[in-house]
Amino acid sequence: MNAYVITIATIILINAITVCGLNVIVGYAGQISLGHAAFVGIGAYSAALLSTKAGLSFWAALPIVIAICGFIGLLLGLPSLRVKDDFLAITTIGINFIVEAIFLYIPFFGGALGIGGIPRIMLFGMKVKGLVFFELCLVFLLLVLLICWWFTRSWAGLASFAVREEESAASSMGISPMRFKLLAFVIGTAIAGLGGALYAHYMRFISATDFSFPVSISLLSMLVLGGMGNLWAPLVGAVILGSLPEIFRPLVDYRILFYTVLLLLMIRFQPAGLLGEDSFARHVFSSILPGGKK
Amino acid sequence: MNRPLLQVKELSKHFGGLKAMDNVDFELFPEEILGILGPNGAGKTVCFNLICGVYKPTNGEVILDSQRIDGLLPYEIANLGVGRTFQIVKPFSSLTVLENVLVARGITRYNSLSKIWSIWQSSTEKNAALRILEHVGLADMENRKAGLLPLGYLRRLEIARALVVGSKLILLDESFSGLRSEEIGQLESLIRRIRQDGITVLLIEHNVRVTMGICDRIVVLDHGRKIAEGKPEAIQQNESVIEAYLGRRRGADAA
Repeated sequence: MNAYVITIATIILINAITVCGLNVIVGYAGQISLGHAAFVGIGAYSAALLSTKAGLSFWAALPIVIAICGFIGLLLGLPSLRVKDDFLAITTIGINFIVEAIFLYIPFFGGALGIGGIPRIMLFGMKVKGLVFFELCLVFLLLVLLICWWFTRSWAGLASFAVREEESAASSMGISPMRFKLLAFVIGTAIAGLGGALYAHYMRFISATDFSFPVSISLLSMLVLGGMGNLWAPLVGAVILGSLPEIFRPLVDYRILFYTVLLLLMIRFQPAGLLGEDSFARHVFSSILPGGKK
Repeated sequence: MNRPLLQVKELSKHFGGLKAMDNVDFELFPEEILGILGPNGAGKTVCFNLICGVYKPTNGEVILDSQRIDGLLPYEIANLGVGRTFQIVKPFSSLTVLENVLVARGITRYNSLSKIWSIWQSSTEKNAALRILEHVGLADMENRKAGLLPLGYLRRLEIARALVVGSKLILLDESFSGLRSEEIGQLESLIRRIRQDGITVLLIEHNVRVTMGICDRIVVLDHGRKIAEGKPEAIQQNESVIEAYLGRRRGADAA
């Protein structure tokens, strides 16, 4: 593999990790979030600041980064999750713009210049780069998939599905909807934090626009394309939306046209996503892979 | 008779100027089937929602087993052993029938931060849920998606979930509406079996024949007020009930 392919593949894996977090919030608990990039950004900025200003290693900073993202997720989730559907969508868009603005206008976060000089991850005394970074992301992705798989198998996951399907029926069965929405939101934002930390140490330079609203949209598109609520959807969506721009590079002028056609075909033939309910791929995958949509 | 299981005292619910429920009192005794009867808009569902915690009463008290439950949230009331169904069925559509019942079986775990992480797909849980499905007549349906079931089965699925939650009391909100006559017969015998198992039932109906046939006592509501209470035979003879309800609909309501 050449460096170009490895770079694309690494970014795809980081996106897949991030989208796994979004899947817990949107796919499992049914709470729409159009501001997921904000939490990736919070993870990336925390990791960047902890390594450049506090001098912590990636490994020492990672638990702190994840805790910060989960905690901010809890703080922002408490008021936001009181509203539903369209209102939650607008609230999360708002969160995205506010977080981006904070990164952009507060000098502590580097302002428009962003944060550069983020050190490489060290593993067994070696600098992690290239193929090793890709493999590290793969390990993290498998870990995250395992956590998501466990979540769908746990009572917490079942309660989240119930809240997603019918909130009032769920509460008539002893489920506090707020509690499980918050739980899913915190797990989702914590996973976003992990993705952000990996992103910061991979790019080694971050700026506010890396975590702007369009990024949230593209993360959500990956999830929708893969099939919300399916364990493998984040990976499938990230691979397709991450590789298409590269594959269509010779046709750069018509790229948007291809996306549009792809999107229309999806809506027409696979409205629940590639791995969604009753999709073509689902029938093939479900026989060989564990953890379909529940 | 012994101590009432559920007491509703001077219960009122006003939506602005509308008195959806106005000073209603009644009691429900253990192992009794009590029906709340009334024409559309009489306040039956409002009454249910007040008991289940969906609405906060404007005035009055709801007492379950000598504990005040008005003002508690729906999930807290469910935790006290009150199960309910919905007038407009609310299945967890993309989950299977079995999973729908398993959601209800989780009620003992949802309040414990350690227990919610254990796995729900155990064979003990599955077998317990299967027994309940068999009890309500949904055996062999366990792997179907709930959203694809016809209404008659969905009503039974809701009763199955309510039975798991409602160790003390189950509330059935118009479980008979929209059913064919043989389905109504099956559901009636199911409710009788439930009572034999020692569970108290409060049901809302506007199907007069069903209510008369199945209930031990009936409370009649009209425009948010209680206009009669008593045994089915007495209700049938009650002048104000006939005027408010039966008289108008006699002959027309053959279901």
